[in-house]
Amino acid sequence: MLGQFEYARAVSLEEACRLLRDEGEAARAFAGGTDLLVEIRNGVRSPSLLVDIKPIEALSILETNGRDRALRVGPAVTLNRLAENADLRDRLPALADAALSIATYQLRNRATLGGNLCNASPASDSIPPLIVAGAIMEITGADGTREVPLDCFCTGVKKTCLETGEIVSAVRIPTVAEGTKTVFLKQQRIKGHDLAVANLAGALSPIDGLLKFSIGSCTPTPLLLGPIETRGHSVDAISEEAVRLAAESISPISDVRASAEYRQAVVPALVCRLVHGLMKGGA
Amino acid sequence: MHTITFRINGERRTETVSPTATLLEMIRDQLHLTGTKEGCGIGECGACTVLLDGAPVTACLVLAAEIDGCEVRTIESEVVDGQLSLLQQAFIDAGAVQCGFCTPGMIMSARGLLLRNPHPTDEEIIEAIAGNLCRCTGYQAILDAIRSVVAEAGSRGGR
Repeated sequence: MLGQFEYARAVSLEEACRLLRDEGEAARAFAGGTDLLVEIRNGVRSPSLLVDIKPIEALSILETNGRDRALRVGPAVTLNRLAENADLRDRLPALADAALSIATYQLRNRATLGGNLCNASPASDSIPPLIVAGAIMEITGADGTREVPLDCFCTGVKKTCLETGEIVSAVRIPTVAEGTKTVFLKQQRIKGHDLAVANLAGALSPIDGLLKFSIGSCTPTPLLLGPIETRGHSVDAISEEAVRLAAESISPISDVRASAEYRQAVVPALVCRLVHGLMKGGA
Repeated sequence: MHTITFRINGERRTETVSPTATLLEMIRDQLHLTGTKEGCGIGECGACTVLLDGAPVTACLVLAAEIDGCEVRTIESEVVDGQLSLLQQAFIDAGAVQCGFCTPGMIMSARGLLLRNPHPTDEEIIEAIAGNLCRCTGYQAILDAIRSVVAEAGSRGGR
């Protein structure tokens, strides 16, 4: 048995928000459950009510919207569904790679994008590729919908800007310009499923030659760094600039996966690898 | 309490479950289908893998209340009319079973793979069972067993 809580299936966004608001802070929105049920089992959280948002059809959309082909992803979309989407794989391979690097096949059949974001782990794998892509969180509550850029969504370790009674209703990924390169890198202790020691994503735009990158697991919330001007600079000079930016921005701690010193030492190497991966074949 | 209706191993069932009961607890303690094992209880070991609407999931991290209207398939579904499935026989023939505790989950992960991809490569087999820990065999015999079914059954889907 997993402690004591009630379970409710919400069939509309309004119902989910109302249930969450009425129950107050002790209620949690529930999607895949792969983080939340483990936290409940381990006594880290003891919610009084789980509001299952999976029955809400609108929260499982995965669609390309309008002329600009922006992607809208419902928070209840599973990581496997995300990783297997050909359009996403084509336009934002860093996110598809990140999704596939999370846990195991069985867990990815349950774990959702919304859950990975709302869990707000410093080591979340989906956050770095999404913040370099400029993802916007659509947040719905009783008073309507507001938008928050993903790089402002997490406010601390396991903390988000969601207010009581609010849920993420969609993740919007703006148009990624044709020819944009994105890369995801994850340093793990083992080759297999493991949380990141450090995880990075980068994007290089063919339009303005600007390079943005993100580093996870080395600060309380994943960092967004850059942009760095790449035109007219050698790959080595760009790497040097990116490493300098990274070194002055990270503040890693020691934990079960790695020491702070190891993270300080490995991040520059990973940043170099990321820049080389992005610059391969020219900007 | 929640009343849920679902299909398990082809049979339609209606059950009353506690909001905190996991799918694994319902399968073992309420339906008495004890082939599905509990290892870690936190989704790390894969011993409790079952197919939910055809997709492998760890039953320890699914609430029973969530499966209303779903189709569940457990290791018990592998035997038809007293006959082991090709996959089960292959595990025996390859010596892929030692203590046996991981085997039901391992077979359900393999079954899920063969259902979505009847001709997997070695790499795809390894990825599909990476969430199933085995502390006895060293995995090689398991890989051999699944591979032999792919070669033998081909389009029959391993049945």
